[in-house]
Amino acid sequence: MRVLTSDRLDRFFATLAQTWELRLPILLPDGTRVIGSPDDGPIALLGIAILSKPTAAFFPQQETLFTASGGVLEEPLAPPRPLFVLGFTPRDLACLRFIDRFFADGWCDDIYFRLRQNSVVAGLSGYCGPGGTLLPPAGGDCDLELFWDGNSWLVIPYSEAGEAIVAELPDTAPPEAVELFRLAAMTPPDENEIVIKRASELLRGDRVPDSFWAEIGDRCIACTGCNLACPTCTCFGVQDWRTATQVERSRMWDSCQLDGFMREASGHNPLGSEALRTRRRIHHKLAADPERWGEISCFVCGRCDAVCPTGIGIFAVARELVARFG
Amino acid sequence: MSDVPCHKSLYLPSECEIIAVTDLTPGEKLFRVRRTDGAPLGHLPGQFVQVSLLGWGEAPISVASSPTRGGVFELGVRRVGSLTCAMHLLSAGDTLGIRGPFGRPFDLPRLHGQDLLLISGGCGLAPMRSLIQYCEDRPNEFGRISILYGAKSPAYTLFKDELAAWEASARFACTLTVDSSPGGECYGGSVGLITSLIPPLTFVPDNTVAVIVGPPAMYRAVIAELKRKGLPSDRIVVSLERQMRCGVGKCGHCTIEHLYCCQDGPVFRLDEIENLRGAL
Repeated sequence: MRVLTSDRLDRFFATLAQTWELRLPILLPDGTRVIGSPDDGPIALLGIAILSKPTAAFFPQQETLFTASGGVLEEPLAPPRPLFVLGFTPRDLACLRFIDRFFADGWCDDIYFRLRQNSVVAGLSGYCGPGGTLLPPAGGDCDLELFWDGNSWLVIPYSEAGEAIVAELPDTAPPEAVELFRLAAMTPPDENEIVIKRASELLRGDRVPDSFWAEIGDRCIACTGCNLACPTCTCFGVQDWRTATQVERSRMWDSCQLDGFMREASGHNPLGSEALRTRRRIHHKLAADPERWGEISCFVCGRCDAVCPTGIGIFAVARELVARFG
Repeated sequence: MSDVPCHKSLYLPSECEIIAVTDLTPGEKLFRVRRTDGAPLGHLPGQFVQVSLLGWGEAPISVASSPTRGGVFELGVRRVGSLTCAMHLLSAGDTLGIRGPFGRPFDLPRLHGQDLLLISGGCGLAPMRSLIQYCEDRPNEFGRISILYGAKSPAYTLFKDELAAWEASARFACTLTVDSSPGGECYGGSVGLITSLIPPLTFVPDNTVAVIVGPPAMYRAVIAELKRKGLPSDRIVVSLERQMRCGVGKCGHCTIEHLYCCQDGPVFRLDEIENLRGAL
């Protein structure tokens, strides 16, 4: 376990920048934090929760699939330097692990892996949650993890790339910090995690009537914030942009909360009501994905609840669902 | 992250040349197409391709011809959106892009030796035609084959010449109906919904498989008639239409609960999907 003091952070990142294209938690002028380039603003490893989805580093809101000009089709090039992305919480890392598997399964998505392959992912844990709350260590799912003990960062490598990166850092973690790390790893599941698991059981047991989804659907204003903030939402649309000289085909995040999401050419719409669309959003994470992938695809990051203007994020819905049906 | 074995260029279409375009109905055309690199499409009946026109995007289109008919393939396309409208302006010698073939095809080994009820409605006859041609070209592999087709009107009946040939063929029992026959059209056939064609059929459920391809409204009614005749769910096959944006199980637009229609379908045995919300 290595140690990185705050006064050495700038030098640490400057060294990394020689090899990697850095994406770090950045403080924006409006006081929010995002994972962005160091050129975008001051680095802010501590502060309020990062509400934008961290998986956007590898699955951006819009990205080019190819361009066509003069009859020649060209795919986007891999970035000149691989990405080093810091800022994933342990829950975010679980989300990343899930979408890595999703994009690799079956037809492997080369556009996703153009950015993801050869990248280095670094997690953030310890007393660096919103308001200094404790984020239990990830213990894996990343190349290295930075654990804030309140004074300095403990740095734990989990891969060869991570080992190489931390090799120059002093190996002088104080025993009390190591003990803190060990105890933090034993943090029990929080209430939201328990509620999400119970809601999943109820949905999979078909214990939730349609009238419930009609009620929840009535509260949805189709702002799509839940999907846009969710790190495991991967749905996208495909569109062509025509200019005088070329056509660019790109993909852009889409939302299952929009009426046209599944509407077919014939006009038939399998998700033709707010009730069905709201059910789909929750059911997909808590029942369909466990059936297909063997695990719930909500990793309890809380972003959809934080951004939903009408209070129907997944925790809120799961709590209501459990209170009424089980 | 270390190496992940990716197919290169998952979203890059291959260029194809249009050899011929023929009118099927006032709203549907048949495109005869071949890949410009000369390679066969490599499809099986029931699969689809993503047709691409630069500047217009992509749309999933079922392959309407059998792989037994050589390297050229055919696409029956209804003019219904911006891409298909642009496609209807194309003619022989023009090019378009193709990705695929994608999706699970008809389970041909499971159909071998069975009597088949091939039931289609509207432009569902296009993907069904791929299977019909396959059966036509492999006559010894299947039992008795009955083709049932329902169209909106005589004018909107697809593949009229081929239907006439199948009706005349000893290989098939072919029955047609139209929902309505407006005055002025020369039509002397049956008028009524496709469900009206099922009660008179005689078949042995233990040796029969029904395949249904058609508009969403057709499935429940046809399935109910088939079940009344004693055909169990595992002997009913459906090909479902969904809005497949990517064709490779990534975009999320074609999910049916935990299934991806583009990858796990579009062909399903009824017992695989009949209890899934929104499948039919």
